[in-house]
Amino acid sequence: MPAPINTLNGPSLAVLQSRMAAALLAADREAQDLPEDLFAGAHPGSVGLRVHRNTVLGALSNALRSSFKAVELLVGEAFFDRMAVAYARARPPEAPQLDDYGADFPSSIDGFPGTEALPYLAELARFEWQLDELGRQHAGRLAGARSLLIAGGVRLHFAASLRLHHANYPVDRLREAILAEDVEALAILVQQAGSYRYALWRAEAGVKLAPLGAAVAGFLEAVLLGQEAEQAINAAAALGEAQEIAGLLAKEILPAGFVRIEAASPGKKTE
Amino acid sequence: MSESSATNPIPAQAGIGLRMPHHGQVLATRPQAAWFEVHPENFMANDSALAELERVRENYPLSLHAVGLSLGSAGGVDRAHLERLRQLRCRLEPGLVSDHLSWSVHGGQYLPDLLPLPYSEEALDIVCRNVERVQQVLGTAILVENPSTYLRFAASVIPEAQFLAALARRTGCGVLFDVNNVYVSACNQSSDAGAVLADWCGALDPASVAEIHLAGHAVVQAATGEELRIDDHGDRICEAVWALYEQAIQHFGARPTLIEWDTRLPAFEVLQEQAARAQSFLDLNARRAPAYAATPGHRRLATHARAH
Repeated sequence: MPAPINTLNGPSLAVLQSRMAAALLAADREAQDLPEDLFAGAHPGSVGLRVHRNTVLGALSNALRSSFKAVELLVGEAFFDRMAVAYARARPPEAPQLDDYGADFPSSIDGFPGTEALPYLAELARFEWQLDELGRQHAGRLAGARSLLIAGGVRLHFAASLRLHHANYPVDRLREAILAEDVEALAILVQQAGSYRYALWRAEAGVKLAPLGAAVAGFLEAVLLGQEAEQAINAAAALGEAQEIAGLLAKEILPAGFVRIEAASPGKKTE
Repeated sequence: MSESSATNPIPAQAGIGLRMPHHGQVLATRPQAAWFEVHPENFMANDSALAELERVRENYPLSLHAVGLSLGSAGGVDRAHLERLRQLRCRLEPGLVSDHLSWSVHGGQYLPDLLPLPYSEEALDIVCRNVERVQQVLGTAILVENPSTYLRFAASVIPEAQFLAALARRTGCGVLFDVNNVYVSACNQSSDAGAVLADWCGALDPASVAEIHLAGHAVVQAATGEELRIDDHGDRICEAVWALYEQAIQHFGARPTLIEWDTRLPAFEVLQEQAARAQSFLDLNARRAPAYAATPGHRRLATHARAH
């Protein structure tokens, strides 16, 4: 069925909205305007369209800016806007809750022209997105926490928000250095490419982080996949010295804030 | 009247748009404010902020002012977003729920702006259908706000005031009358703002006007040389808008009036000072006209909500 035509034989509302949406997101200057005979205001339609384009792209840039603070500080406001606008045009949001917008912004800036000297930029962005997502969670409301029964009837309860993060740079310290505008520290850290693993979780006081060794990260990954204690320990052993696993777990996991230990009740039969 | 407004009414006093940087102060000091209004979209993917808002809600009446329903979308209202709003409304029990006479969604893409509609019969049918759908799902009448406009479509054959009045008549929705938007739109169309306000007063049934918005705006020079007023909610309310506001409440009566401030957010005390000025106008006009009256449409919807 053809689109309905309105009283002045202009395009239907659906067609008008389609054209206007395309014009507002267009990068090509020639595609940014609509025929002036669509408009009848005191100013050319192109003037009004420019106001709306600035609002749309500005709102999306600001939404990304709030999630990627260190990225913006590192590259500068103007360059960040270039990356943000390119992303917004390619991947506009699908829903109005803009807190959720930007999950794949890190991928989109990986290799963005002009960032060749910042090979860690996308890594930093991925880390910031994790922090941002966790920061929006409410520690008291999280459900689905994983628990693990270990020897002697002792049970470990892991924070429901617990997630593992792997990076090829020390992104936690990189971010701190950028936010502190510590150029000397940054210059040293960018030379430290390697394998970095972190536990991240949401506590009452905010997002918490603990660096992890490979074996402990392997253990936690197995736990989060739903494996039992023995399997998780085997996973850890595959990544570290088997005889040191118990000590590593005790050293890195038990003091961490993401786990609560429940001892066996007296008189209760232990498993 | 809607079920929520019956139990958690928004008073005909001056309220404040609550933004996240002020959450901490509001929770810690419980400052004087008749009521607060928030954008629900800011709490749909932020449980941490929602928990704070629930604590605010314990001490203040709350209104939800949506920006993402896209009531003017030819493709209809997004079901998932409407469901998110329904859940939030159930959780927060706001006194009022509102959105704008505009569109922002097309083809599954959300453009974060209040994009203008041609005021045509086709658009009126579409907006009516969308508002009815929203009211059916929410189980309450909503308010629809006149936006600021920066362009006018040749296909607009219905004056904006009459378009919104017809929408209210046909759907039973209320009107959120934004005085700053009237001023900004009038200036951007080189019209006399006082005359435009008179048109609005003539077109709207005072009983349909449930809330008033006040805000500051920016004056900019477009690249082509034109002076434009931009509704950026980033400044104090200008004297011309205060004068229009006084005229509006002399005609419509005292209505819940919100101070909106979104960009370059000042100290909370500045918002309180602006609210106090609005309150002084409200006090002078407290008995001038009847209060917002729920239409039969409102009552039908409220009954529908209780039944389900």
